[in-house]
Amino acid sequence: MKSLAAGISLACLLALSACTTTTVDEYRENSTTLTLDSSERVVVLGRRHYANYETEPDFIDCIGEKLNADREVSVLPEREFVDLLYPWFEPRTAPLGLKRLAKMLDEPMIAQRFKEQGLRYMIWIDGSTETTDRDGSVSCAIGPGGGGCFGFATWEKTGTYEAIIWDLQTLKESGRVKVEAQGSSYMVAIILPIPIVAQVQDQACDGIGQQLRTFFMDSRVSEES
Amino acid sequence: MSSIKVMTKPASSLRYLLALSFALASLLISACATQVNVDGNFPPALTRQLTLRTIVVFEPNFASYRFESTEGPEVSIAVGQIQVELFTGLAASLFQHSVTSTSMPTATSMPTQPETDLILLPSVEDVQVSMPNESQLKVFEVWIKYNLQVFNSAGEPVADWIMTAYGKTPTRFLKSNTDALHQAAMVAMRDAGAHFITGFARVPEIRQWLQTRQTRVSSTNTNTNKMTEP
Repeated sequence: MKSLAAGISLACLLALSACTTTTVDEYRENSTTLTLDSSERVVVLGRRHYANYETEPDFIDCIGEKLNADREVSVLPEREFVDLLYPWFEPRTAPLGLKRLAKMLDEPMIAQRFKEQGLRYMIWIDGSTETTDRDGSVSCAIGPGGGGCFGFATWEKTGTYEAIIWDLQTLKESGRVKVEAQGSSYMVAIILPIPIVAQVQDQACDGIGQQLRTFFMDSRVSEES
Repeated sequence: MSSIKVMTKPASSLRYLLALSFALASLLISACATQVNVDGNFPPALTRQLTLRTIVVFEPNFASYRFESTEGPEVSIAVGQIQVELFTGLAASLFQHSVTSTSMPTATSMPTQPETDLILLPSVEDVQVSMPNESQLKVFEVWIKYNLQVFNSAGEPVADWIMTAYGKTPTRFLKSNTDALHQAAMVAMRDAGAHFITGFARVPEIRQWLQTRQTRVSSTNTNTNKMTEP
């Protein structure tokens, strides 16, 4: 009887999770192939200077993991880079353009630190995931005899991100990728609330990570052939 | 005997109920107040050192500074210790030689530090905190306004630098207000460090003082060279 109940619950969860939808639109502006020696590294950084949002640090970590998935592209973690270059990559001081970065690299100490870390490309990620729409409601109550929730709620999340690649050798922009992911999540509550959450940020990370990898992987493929 | 049992049962359940209500009430009250004790580490600053000998004075009210707000939800943020650590590290990175003190050197104590060029006295002018329920934005924000008073070795004022710092952190599902404010305060501290390192030599009064000192040092060297020339 217990296993039957567990089976039914699992089936219900599976059926409900199939209701989550995530749409990802990816756009790569150019088809440049980027070269990266085995001794060279890439750093992925999030933009944090806007007042109303900031690119999530876990999203930056996720992109780093995607790029470094098969250890082909060596990635310097964001936190480590920002600490090594403190205070030059804080929200107040981080360069917003290549001109400012070039001026920054005129300072021998900063240039030396970049060289020591073998940095070749800097990838800036700008964007965030926001809740764009909300509907329905779930109410919960508790009393001496017990408690429970009842209701149905749905919400939509949109993640919009843009990645810009800067070549630290030529001090030019090497590529640009945009991704927009949307997903609807649900919460069904019949005594117990069951959330079915669309992984919008993860999908956006997959999309942008795969697109960024193609910039570097294309060169590896052509080198091998 | 049995009558005693009958009497004690409701009394013990009443006590149990009272204890439970008290515990619940304490939990609810503590849930409303946010107490943050900011701690952490800062990396050494990557900067060109100024050839200066400084004393950084951390007065007790700076070293034990605690921001407290009772308007709306009760918030208390202790930043005293962390800002002492921050400014000690920043001074060590920016100046060739730096020591700390807990009080302003007096005319009598100054001869013990005869080679001091500047005395720095930081103080907190204002702290403001903004939470999502107040601002309707999905971020926790912390502003700190410092006043960095700079004196020369004779104790004469050189500059009064109002230095602002800002830190924010986005709201997160299941993240407590304490964690979010701690993170925002740490971002604000790092911002204060960035402002100090990049802005110190650009403050007009300090820049002028540095230029005057440079000219004086150059002319002294020239005179010394002239005197030693055969």
